[in-house]
Amino acid sequence: MSELPVILLVDDERHILSALQRILRREGYELLTAASAGRAQEVLAERKVDLIVSDQKMPGTHGIDFFAELQRAGRRTPRVLLTGWPEEIPQRELDEAGVTALLPKPWDDAELKATLRRCLGLAEA
Amino acid sequence: MTEGQGEREGAQRAREPLRVLVAEADEAHAREQTGGVLDLEGPLRRLGHDVTLEIHRDQGAALTALRGNHADLVVLDQALGEGFWRCLEAAREAAAPALAVVRDDDEAFALEAYRAGAADCVRLGEDFADLLPIAAFEQLRRLTHIQQRGEAARLGKTVDELRRYNQHIIQNMNSALVVVDPSARISYANPTAERLLGGEPGELMGSPLRRWFPSLEDDEILPLRTLADGAPYRGAEMVVARVDGRLIPIGMSCAPLIDGAGAREGVVAIFQDLTEIKQLERQVLQTEKMASIGQLAAGVAHEINNPMGFVHANLGQLSEYLDDLGKVWDRLEGLRAAAGSERIDADEVRRAAAELEAVIQEVDAGFLLRDFGTAIRESLEGSERIRSIVRDLRAFSYQDTGERVPTDVNRALDSTANIVWTMMKHSVVLTKQYDELPPISCHPVQLQQVFMNLLVNAYQAIEARAESEETLRGEIKLRTALEGDEVVIQVADNGTGIAPDVMKRIFDPFFTTKEVGVGMGLGLSTSFNLVEQLGGSLQVDSEVGRGSSFEVRLSLDPEDRVPARRAR
Repeated sequence: MSELPVILLVDDERHILSALQRILRREGYELLTAASAGRAQEVLAERKVDLIVSDQKMPGTHGIDFFAELQRAGRRTPRVLLTGWPEEIPQRELDEAGVTALLPKPWDDAELKATLRRCLGLAEA
Repeated sequence: MTEGQGEREGAQRAREPLRVLVAEADEAHAREQTGGVLDLEGPLRRLGHDVTLEIHRDQGAALTALRGNHADLVVLDQALGEGFWRCLEAAREAAAPALAVVRDDDEAFALEAYRAGAADCVRLGEDFADLLPIAAFEQLRRLTHIQQRGEAARLGKTVDELRRYNQHIIQNMNSALVVVDPSARISYANPTAERLLGGEPGELMGSPLRRWFPSLEDDEILPLRTLADGAPYRGAEMVVARVDGRLIPIGMSCAPLIDGAGAREGVVAIFQDLTEIKQLERQVLQTEKMASIGQLAAGVAHEINNPMGFVHANLGQLSEYLDDLGKVWDRLEGLRAAAGSERIDADEVRRAAAELEAVIQEVDAGFLLRDFGTAIRESLEGSERIRSIVRDLRAFSYQDTGERVPTDVNRALDSTANIVWTMMKHSVVLTKQYDELPPISCHPVQLQQVFMNLLVNAYQAIEARAESEETLRGEIKLRTALEGDEVVIQVADNGTGIAPDVMKRIFDPFFTTKEVGVGMGLGLSTSFNLVEQLGGSLQVDSEVGRGSSFEVRLSLDPEDRVPARRAR
């Protein structure tokens, strides 16, 4: 059995992480979680991650700033930003942070699954 | 003399008694003339109480008085000799009309006096005691007439036209004007006053003033106060009852009406209908409330969005769990049928059990059952969060009924803080220290509006400071306490603080240091007014670079909290 794609889920809201895990339970991924950008950086230092899904509004570092840090560090891991107000973030900032896709919050389960597959370069189910 | 001074003195003179300066000859001079010493004072007394007499027998004193005294009329005795001419000249220079008392039938002297500027000459004779006051009166009458003419001339009008002009202004002015006589009845009302009070023309005349203010005590009815103490009052708000019984708010100014002799003839009152202004005030308050709520809406939406997101996602998953557990149930039914038939086929039972086991494995039924409970628990927690936000938010969504009700100040502060907190939770630490407080009688919505304004300001001050100080750990401290018979509510922040020059103006309406669109500058002035209406006080202590602390004090005793309605 080949290794499962690894997805790192980042959100300060524990129950959001828990809901995301439920939805993705049978999608064939290994799921890692982090409650903040700082914790996420620690996970990234230890593990190979194939896709990062992060909430935008978090205490401390916001999602877009976390992604921009990764971009500046030369990391090319695909990344999905989860935000209730996608229109509030200028395209320029999205480009500079290397955001692969935006997902609205609350999300549509099917759209969420399809977006993650697309970002991982997997075929549509 | 500047024009302003001239006008002021003119106005002063109109109220003061007229001043007549008399320069008499002393005995030595008088004896040189036929007729001896004349009694000028006696006849001039007949001019009445409106006139003060200033009599000089000393030439030097008369001259000094003339030069500095602004006499309205000067009476000069021919017997002054050389002094007559000096005094006449001084009178001319002071622009005071001079009346010459001519001894004997000296036509040449009279002619000379007229030439030198005398206004009139009164010859000594049998009728002298009558003629002198008549001539003096004529001069004074002319003088006041000239003053009126001067005013008329300034406006380019004749005296008659001036009268009509003034009448026209009073008849057509947008303010209501009434005159109240000393018996506290209306003796004049202009058409605007009649319209405002809804009466027919003339209906107001002679009506007792109290009739129009049924809801007020005598000392609250300004014209009655002016009538009693003679003092003017400005810009006080009162409630007047129209003829149809409708009560309307008015703004009134009063002044005593004084006759020519300085006696009080009554009161002039000018007032405006404040109904529209009051409506606008309410609208502005509502607008400001909406503006603050607009700022809060985003924070509240964020706060509701997260729980809403996972509750919704969980329900979708639970529905899938149920489908999967349904499959297990189907297989379980199969097993039950096989095991429960009359003749048990062991193979069939084994097959059904294997199928059940397979589907249990396939759907991971053990996990589903465990996680089912977890998902429900988390979702309940999320919906409880939404419910409490909505409960706190409800406080802002209903209109104030205007009723004072026993209010839990801690609860009002806490629900407001919880709502405002949603927009600042990522950048501010909120600490609460609530004392146990007795309920106080007030308008809870108004109180919450004050708290909201203070909290939003505190947050904005922290945000502003954080712009230049990235490491700033924002902090808002809420404290309530019972101090004596007062409830004290403090909202302290570690934001920018308020500069001393700004401090003077923070409670002014429409004063704001915030960017356009952030606020209308009514937050603190509104808060100040609301607290004042509740009979309390709002104070601030602030230091630039350290932060600000706002303190609301409310009295426990409702008797101390009657809103002021008097003239200030």
